[in-house]
Amino acid sequence: MEADVVRSEMVLPPVMPFKRVQMGDKYQKGQSRGRYWKHLKQLLQAENFISLPLDEPNYLNIESPPSMYPSKKYCDITGFEAPYVDPRTKLRYADPEVFKRVRNLPNEHVQRYLALRNAAVIIR
Amino acid sequence: MGEIRIARQSDYDLFSPTTPIVIDNGGSTFRIGWAGESDPRIMFRNVAFRPRHRSTGETVTVVGEHDPALFKYFDCTRSSWRSPFDNNVVYQFEIMEYVLDYGFDRLGASSSMAGKVDHPILMTECICNPVYSRAKMAELLFETYGVPSVAFGVDAAFSYKYNQNLGICAEDGIALSIGFMTTHSIPILKGEPLPEGSCRTNVGGYHVTNYLKEVLSLKYPYHAPSITWEKAEELKREHCYVAPDYPSELQIFKKETKEAEEKKWVWQLPWVPPPQEELPSEEELARKAAIKEKQGQRLREMAAAKRSQKITDLENELHVLETLLSQLDEAELPEVASSILARSGYLSRQEIESAHSRVSQSLRKARGEPAVTVEENTDTATSADKYPLVSIPDEMLTPDQLKEKKRQIFLKTTSEGRLRAKQKRAEEEMMRERQNQLEEGRRLENPELYLEELRAKYKELSEKIDQRKRLKTNGNGNGNGNGTGNGNNVSGGTGRGERLNAAQRERMRLLTTALFDKGKGEDTFGLKDEDWQLYKLMSKDTDDDDDDVVNPDEAELERVAAKLQEFDPSFVGRAEAELMQSTQEPPRPRALTAEDYQVVLGVERFRCPEVLFQPGMIGEYQAGIDEIVSHSLRRLPNLDSSIKDRMCQSIIVTGGGSLLPGLEQRLETGIRATRPYLSPLKIVRAVDSVMDAWRGASVYAASELFSTQTFSLEDYNEKGEDWLKRCNIVYSLYD
Repeated sequence: MEADVVRSEMVLPPVMPFKRVQMGDKYQKGQSRGRYWKHLKQLLQAENFISLPLDEPNYLNIESPPSMYPSKKYCDITGFEAPYVDPRTKLRYADPEVFKRVRNLPNEHVQRYLALRNAAVIIR
Repeated sequence: MGEIRIARQSDYDLFSPTTPIVIDNGGSTFRIGWAGESDPRIMFRNVAFRPRHRSTGETVTVVGEHDPALFKYFDCTRSSWRSPFDNNVVYQFEIMEYVLDYGFDRLGASSSMAGKVDHPILMTECICNPVYSRAKMAELLFETYGVPSVAFGVDAAFSYKYNQNLGICAEDGIALSIGFMTTHSIPILKGEPLPEGSCRTNVGGYHVTNYLKEVLSLKYPYHAPSITWEKAEELKREHCYVAPDYPSELQIFKKETKEAEEKKWVWQLPWVPPPQEELPSEEELARKAAIKEKQGQRLREMAAAKRSQKITDLENELHVLETLLSQLDEAELPEVASSILARSGYLSRQEIESAHSRVSQSLRKARGEPAVTVEENTDTATSADKYPLVSIPDEMLTPDQLKEKKRQIFLKTTSEGRLRAKQKRAEEEMMRERQNQLEEGRRLENPELYLEELRAKYKELSEKIDQRKRLKTNGNGNGNGNGTGNGNNVSGGTGRGERLNAAQRERMRLLTTALFDKGKGEDTFGLKDEDWQLYKLMSKDTDDDDDDVVNPDEAELERVAAKLQEFDPSFVGRAEAELMQSTQEPPRPRALTAEDYQVVLGVERFRCPEVLFQPGMIGEYQAGIDEIVSHSLRRLPNLDSSIKDRMCQSIIVTGGGSLLPGLEQRLETGIRATRPYLSPLKIVRAVDSVMDAWRGASVYAASELFSTQTFSLEDYNEKGEDWLKRCNIVYSLYD
């Protein structure tokens, strides 16, 4: 290890005296650990909230319902109110100058703007 | 926040095993410290990173933020910063373990000889945490760290309690906690949170920062590498604010009033102006000129030497040829002549003579004398002699001579062709010269009119070319767009262009007739080779037929453009005009100024925090943070409205996301809209939105009755997971 890395102590030592089981023993090298942990979605499926009484609060219960107010449409590029939508790219825009910019955007930017709004079509 | 180097605490052993350790396990920051203290000892970003060390090749773990310069020793491309959280729930316990390792280590646990962390732990979690996550966390603490007892609490409730003890809020109220990925509204009754009334919306500080980062990167793609996550957070912290009324704030900026100008903030990126070219001094100039002179001189000498060499070579050759000729002349007997010829390598005397004339001509050119064009005429004059066999009919010749004749015919036609081409070129040159002179004359006599004509012609030509291009690409684009379905030409349905264009119509016709075959109902297309020629006919990619038509127009356009460029000071080329309109980056031909390196935050300053109030802006169809308060009150139907009124008079806003200026005012307007007319409403920010959760937990853990709230490994093993689900601490221990 280089001297300044050692000095800064940024790397976790492999053996920690206050642990009963060290990391190296718990997680063998070379095993893929990514798939070992359940993501939130899988966690919630496993919880099986449907079988529980409805009035008891649980993680899904307390989620907020959709908003009461209708969502306002804002221009993707400038942020002003956007009464118009470009039919080709489905971006919202506020006025003709912005429209020019919308049409001149490279495709990558179009997709990123749409992704910001969660409106990008993901083709796998 | 954001200490680069965290010092290890040295007083771990001074604390007795009954002193609890308090951990605020937050989505963005991990805070750990001792119960009873007013500040956490250690705070760092709740992320871990597993890069490969370059020189040793082993994979190491780094937790929290560190000096970025040290990362050059690691290969950071394959790995990224991982958080143990998914939304606001811990799911990745390996990373959690790294984080806990680092936290305990920095707290000084490494100095203890106990072999385990021998203190009770109070840890924060989100409200209604899934029991799987809680169980796994408890397991981790018990089994890996040997912790004797554990308690879990909600960070928002701790913050509320802390502020309640400070007198900021009452016993009944609402805690609105704006976290990293989520925001919760939790009603508090008699000091206890009511989970059945709590409401969560999935927007938080992360979404605001991410939105800011993306919007700026898209607006200034040229500076996208400088707009990192850390920089975006810094900008958010320093310059973002919440608009009291979003639409009117937008109007201020849209109208570009002076107020808008004042509210804009400009981030000047580091920029080095290009070094000014110093005018070289007199000596410099003189020196450079001398060097150039010398070089020129040297080159000239070399050229002269080469030329003289060439001249001597040619002279030698000429001499040889002349001697040959003289020898031939002197030879009286034909055998001597033919033997001389055979030795020299030339077939006939004529060849020698022609070689001789060639060499003497090149010699003359080398010497710089005018070339004698007399040779050309003599050649044409003697064409009959040169190709003697041509005129003789075929039957009278031997096979060898026939071959010879064919060769001579070929030579004759090519040389004649060459002559003709040369003449044609000369004619064209003359014509062009004449035209130029005419134009010059016209220009000189009436410059204005001339310019007008030129400009009109230019416009006409460019329009024609544009239109043709548009038709071509429109038809092509529609066809391709349907085929591939992406790209800029995403048009809806089969293009109108396909039906309108004559070429496209022809193509359609060919396609359909190819399908309907000539046979008896069976598709015999392709059996014959000629069928495939169909594709050649209808191929859209061939530019052959177009080229001949377009080129003259384009060539004319070029010529007119060149003329205009010369004479018209206000002329801007077509290509340049397009360049100036279309790019968002600074166009390169222009010198870069300081302004090009500025990132202007105008609308973005309040547009990004608006995401908290209108999650629809980022595509989350949930309620904003002002609305969830009303939702959470609605979920408590059994409560008296007077209690609800009391609650609304004591709303605390806590959590890192609440540091935005103007937030409370906006929340007040938002929440007031959902409450009955003139009902009382009071919203206060927590004393320290970021730290109060830990502080409240610390006070809680320091109280004497804390040990009654914790559970140990035996409890967990006996009572099982179901019990763990319902196991919640009582918050009002120390009133």
